[in-house]
Amino acid sequence: MASPDGVKEDIGRGIDAALSAGAEYADARYFTEDLSENLVLYDGNLEANDTGFQSGVGVRVLWGGAWGFAATSDTGSVTACFDRALQNARTASRLVKVKIRMGKNPPVRGSYSSPVEVDPFTVDLSDKLGFLTALDSRMKEDWILRRIVGAEFQKRRILFMSSDGSEIEKRLANVFATMMVMALDSDGRMQRRSMQLYTTGRGTRCWEMLCEPELFGAHAERIKSELSELVKADQIEHGTRSVILLPGQGFLQVHETIGHPLELDRILGYELSYAGGSFVTLDSIGRLRYGSEKLNVSSYGSIENSPGTFGFDDDGSPERDYLLIDRGILVNALTSRAMVNEANDRAGREVFRDAGGVARATAFYRAPIDRMTNVNILPGTDGTLEDIVASTENGIIVDNPTSWSIGSNREHFHFGCEIAWEVRDGRRTRVLRNPTYQGHTLEFYGSLSAVGDERTWRVEQVDNCGKGEPNQVMQLGHGVPVVRFDNVITGERG
Amino acid sequence: MLDSGTREMILEARDDARRRGLRASVMLHRENSHLMRIGNNSVSLNTSEKLTRLDVRVLDGNREGTHTVLGEVRSAAQVLESIELSARKAASAVPKDYTPMLAEVREGVDESPQYDAALENLDPSVKARIYAEIFEAVGSSYNYSGSWSSGSMEVYLVSTANDREAYHRGTDQLFSVVLKHPEAKWELQDEQTGWKAGDIAAEATIERLKRYADLYEKVPGIRIEPGEYTVVFGPSALAELAMFALMTGVNGRLYEEKMSWTAQNAVGDRVLGENITVVDDPGNALTFMYGFDAGGIRRRKFPVIEAGRLSALIYDMATAAKYGKEPTGHECEPSISIACGTGPESPMEAVKGMGRALFIPAIHYMNLPNVSKGVFTGSSRFSAVVLEDGRMAAPMFSTRITDSFQNVFGNVAVLSSRQVSVNGSNTYGRRSPVAAAVPSYAVVEKVRITDCAESF
Repeated sequence: MASPDGVKEDIGRGIDAALSAGAEYADARYFTEDLSENLVLYDGNLEANDTGFQSGVGVRVLWGGAWGFAATSDTGSVTACFDRALQNARTASRLVKVKIRMGKNPPVRGSYSSPVEVDPFTVDLSDKLGFLTALDSRMKEDWILRRIVGAEFQKRRILFMSSDGSEIEKRLANVFATMMVMALDSDGRMQRRSMQLYTTGRGTRCWEMLCEPELFGAHAERIKSELSELVKADQIEHGTRSVILLPGQGFLQVHETIGHPLELDRILGYELSYAGGSFVTLDSIGRLRYGSEKLNVSSYGSIENSPGTFGFDDDGSPERDYLLIDRGILVNALTSRAMVNEANDRAGREVFRDAGGVARATAFYRAPIDRMTNVNILPGTDGTLEDIVASTENGIIVDNPTSWSIGSNREHFHFGCEIAWEVRDGRRTRVLRNPTYQGHTLEFYGSLSAVGDERTWRVEQVDNCGKGEPNQVMQLGHGVPVVRFDNVITGERG
Repeated sequence: MLDSGTREMILEARDDARRRGLRASVMLHRENSHLMRIGNNSVSLNTSEKLTRLDVRVLDGNREGTHTVLGEVRSAAQVLESIELSARKAASAVPKDYTPMLAEVREGVDESPQYDAALENLDPSVKARIYAEIFEAVGSSYNYSGSWSSGSMEVYLVSTANDREAYHRGTDQLFSVVLKHPEAKWELQDEQTGWKAGDIAAEATIERLKRYADLYEKVPGIRIEPGEYTVVFGPSALAELAMFALMTGVNGRLYEEKMSWTAQNAVGDRVLGENITVVDDPGNALTFMYGFDAGGIRRRKFPVIEAGRLSALIYDMATAAKYGKEPTGHECEPSISIACGTGPESPMEAVKGMGRALFIPAIHYMNLPNVSKGVFTGSSRFSAVVLEDGRMAAPMFSTRITDSFQNVFGNVAVLSSRQVSVNGSNTYGRRSPVAAAVPSYAVVEKVRITDCAESF
């Protein structure tokens, strides 16, 4: 196996060779280590005690306006990998109607490290299991039929080098955790309540975050208590009413109906054959009323503690903080270098000025594509959850997704949630089970009538966003407050 | 069989682990993958990956540890190192309240029933040429995208339980093209699947795309009002419905834990219509023919629904161990095969005289708002049309179905007499081809349409 320094030298030589062969651009990402650990207690049984290690090099070559990509886990064959990527690009260039342009960027030299206090890979397995087992014990009750407690740790060390002369080193770390309790309702059907580890957007993000009670563990009693009400609750009835989304649900609403439709590769049609397109067009930027005046959405948001914070993307662009939606008007999209160049070419004007730094690949063996960073609804001025409830005549509060299904251009959606609380005349009245709601994206955001303030805002972590071909699962974040939408169809007919 | 060098290293490590008293299984997964992606009438990505993964699992009484390495296998010592790491993890693990089962190759297997070296080494320029041919023939003013994944997979499994080895090698491919009208925004799609280099034919795709494009060009799309409709599900939609229904209906874990939509039934109960029979059939040549599972069990024909009755549940190793059952060879994706009916070749013929019907070839983004009631939701996409008395009448806008598996598979009026392969593989993790063999269409009555967009 080649030494890291040897691999780096091979990458440098490979980039030079690709340029000499006529490539317009070349880059490589060398994952010197990519560690993962997954621990899951299911009814107290340790059903997952998994670790993973991978290391390798992914190479992109742009030749004749077409991408070629190759990857190898054999770090002794980096040169062959460059040859393969170049050959793939040459083949691809035979069928190119729209030439990809990366443009000339000044070299970027830098580094980024996720803020870490205690690296979970240095914590003894018995301590991790002790933490999870203690939490599991707290969730144990005779009437609770199923309990799940799990944590997932990730650590990646990536060297990026490109023909721009860029050289960036990243050390990324993530921790995700979930807990769930389940019990049978009065119809003998299983109901569940769950909680995922979230962040405040500040502080450090590893073992210490998991151990912070307010962010995770302290919610065990609450979800048990809510489940006990849920199993006795009435079924939600079909009807039109206001829907108040807690952050545990709001993040997915933002993810599916703001984040995905604003990915520029999707807008430009590069995801049509798998994930789908977008109802947003280049003409929408700066013109489309996406939602009410209360809707303000940012990308990245300078959030220091989130899986969507990574310093530099896999094109070598710095992650950038900017508004996507400003007082309801769409003003930008989630952008990367090549997509910005293509969009501006197609529009015949400068729709986008800078790349947003969103190109990311999930592993060394995948090519970068446009991904969400942190896509956030900014806090509003409508106070706390209780303030919003007090001003709601007829509605439901919903939390945590059980199901999500979205139209192929993100124009309509259907969500199922774990729990709803009915609100009548400014008061919570009862718990309802099997809540669902559906809508059409622009109409829905146009009905946004309340946005909670900073006290209701938090960063929900996402560890399973799927996109691309070959498929890629990505980690990202959403900062969201409590939000209320009016005149929403809830429940199912019949 | 696996190349002798790698095989010897793994066997040496296995034997060494056995001598040390460890209970371990080692599974090697090797892929040689290629994918060409099309966007905006161009090759937007042309990728190659050669990857080797080693999955190691060690049991220590009721404790378990697993470790996966992605990288080349270079020595027996390296394999043994992963076994030892897993053993250390197992030693520190929380014991289970049941005794887990070790993978055990019960019958030696050395198979490559569907392997084609020509596909494994397919020159990507062949793919580019076929796409170009399609664009040219159907019309270059449309916007085309698509993807063509092809490659080979090898799986090799041994454990300390015995000296037997199981090896599978196969090739597979999934070709898709999406045609989008640049102004009207409607989308058509065509897919082909296979395991040999010559399985993908441009002519078939060209014919189908042209047929739908002709209608979409001439007739504006219409919005479907919510209500109950007769729906003709195409093979992709049918395979996806069946996949979700079985995943949540005959899965032993969900059943035992009261989460399945069949949880209030017993084996033998009628849960679907009499004309529905589903078998897990790895011997069906339309399903990539994977002959053993990760537990080392030889896979054989396994009926799960017979004439609408729940005939058996499928148990993976962990569920079997926990609930005192025998594992059924389902430590892998099932090879779903839905029995055909007696319907005519053409779905249009099947709905003649039935008035209005909706033809939904594929369901986009299906999910399950209420698993224990069998409720699913998803929307139409690609080539969806309204049929009037068996004639394609108009394209339809993106339409949402929210219904239950019991209702849909309980109201099948006509099933095609021809079985086709639907490739259900994804490329999220390792290459792991899976396909369902389903009737080429199903006519279903009283399907609930719950929403419709005013666009495609």
